[in-house]
Amino acid sequence: MGSFAAALDCDAELMIRVKGGDDVSFGLLLEKHRSSVIHFLYRMVQDQAVAEELAQEAFLRVYRSRSTYEPTAKFTTWLFRIATHLALNSLRDNKKQRTEARLDGESGEEPAREVSDVRPSVEQAMVREARLQEIRQAVARLPEKQRAAVLMHKYEEMEYAQIAKVLNCSESAVKSLLFRAYETLRARLAHMA
Amino acid sequence: MKCPSNAWEEADLLAFSENKLEARQAARLSEHLQSCAVCRTVVEQQRAVWEALDVWEAPAITADFDRRLHRAMEQDAGRWNRWLEPLRLLLARQGLPIAAATCLIVVAGVVSHRPADSGVSPGPAAARVENLQPEQVEHALDDVQMLGDFTRAARPDTGEL
Repeated sequence: MGSFAAALDCDAELMIRVKGGDDVSFGLLLEKHRSSVIHFLYRMVQDQAVAEELAQEAFLRVYRSRSTYEPTAKFTTWLFRIATHLALNSLRDNKKQRTEARLDGESGEEPAREVSDVRPSVEQAMVREARLQEIRQAVARLPEKQRAAVLMHKYEEMEYAQIAKVLNCSESAVKSLLFRAYETLRARLAHMA
Repeated sequence: MKCPSNAWEEADLLAFSENKLEARQAARLSEHLQSCAVCRTVVEQQRAVWEALDVWEAPAITADFDRRLHRAMEQDAGRWNRWLEPLRLLLARQGLPIAAATCLIVVAGVVSHRPADSGVSPGPAAARVENLQPEQVEHALDDVQMLGDFTRAARPDTGEL
């Protein structure tokens, strides 16, 4: 609880400074939350270019709203609410089709980020890629709100209460979303163990 | 999934599978798992899901993300300025005529909307005289003359009636 309050104070303090015209504080907020927002959006829309576009829009909206900002909630709750809203709109604007096309045909474009000293064989790389594709598809096939809830729970390590605030629903609704989502994922991914 | 003994909630099993359950509860659940195949399967499968999701890394962020954002912020500010600039220029160059015209419009509006009988008590006579027209003065003098003639004619001592 102490760390929550500290985080709340820190981000809110920075945002209040932004409200007062301090752009350096906006830079600090961007530095702190840039990765988590982009990674969340990437896993939601499964397209890096679209994810970065949406993240730009999310931070732009935060900056635009600086004059009316009031620290009534945790800053990340507000930020992820904006990001989720943008992601859901983007998915509904038929961008989902483009994402699926990438999943089916262009997944080889994924940059190689885990380059090790020992280069994996072609077969190992193919197995790994097939596995990754299966994971991405399993998540992509979840209903949008379930997907958002899982990503915030798993990768952002948010508590049920915070996810509820982001998704603007009750805590019990979030639990229900998560349990259904994990049940589906267990059915789709458990064989990977 | 539903634990046949109803001893544990799904939230507990999720927390346990990611090692976030409080130690005493985790020990109790470990004991329960030895005898409950349903809960044990859920925990094992959920751990497999966590591991699978851990493999999925997000790509690196493009190097110019911040630069693009700052450019977008500047363009955004520029857009507002573009909207406000004509108004600002108009006020700077023709501020006085615009202000005068605005005052005139306001005064005209107030005057035209003033009710005919506002119920305000009449002002001093001197002020009202300023509004009299020559014809009104002439008629008034004629009336006085006529009244004088009538008074004189009505006096009994003159014996004219």
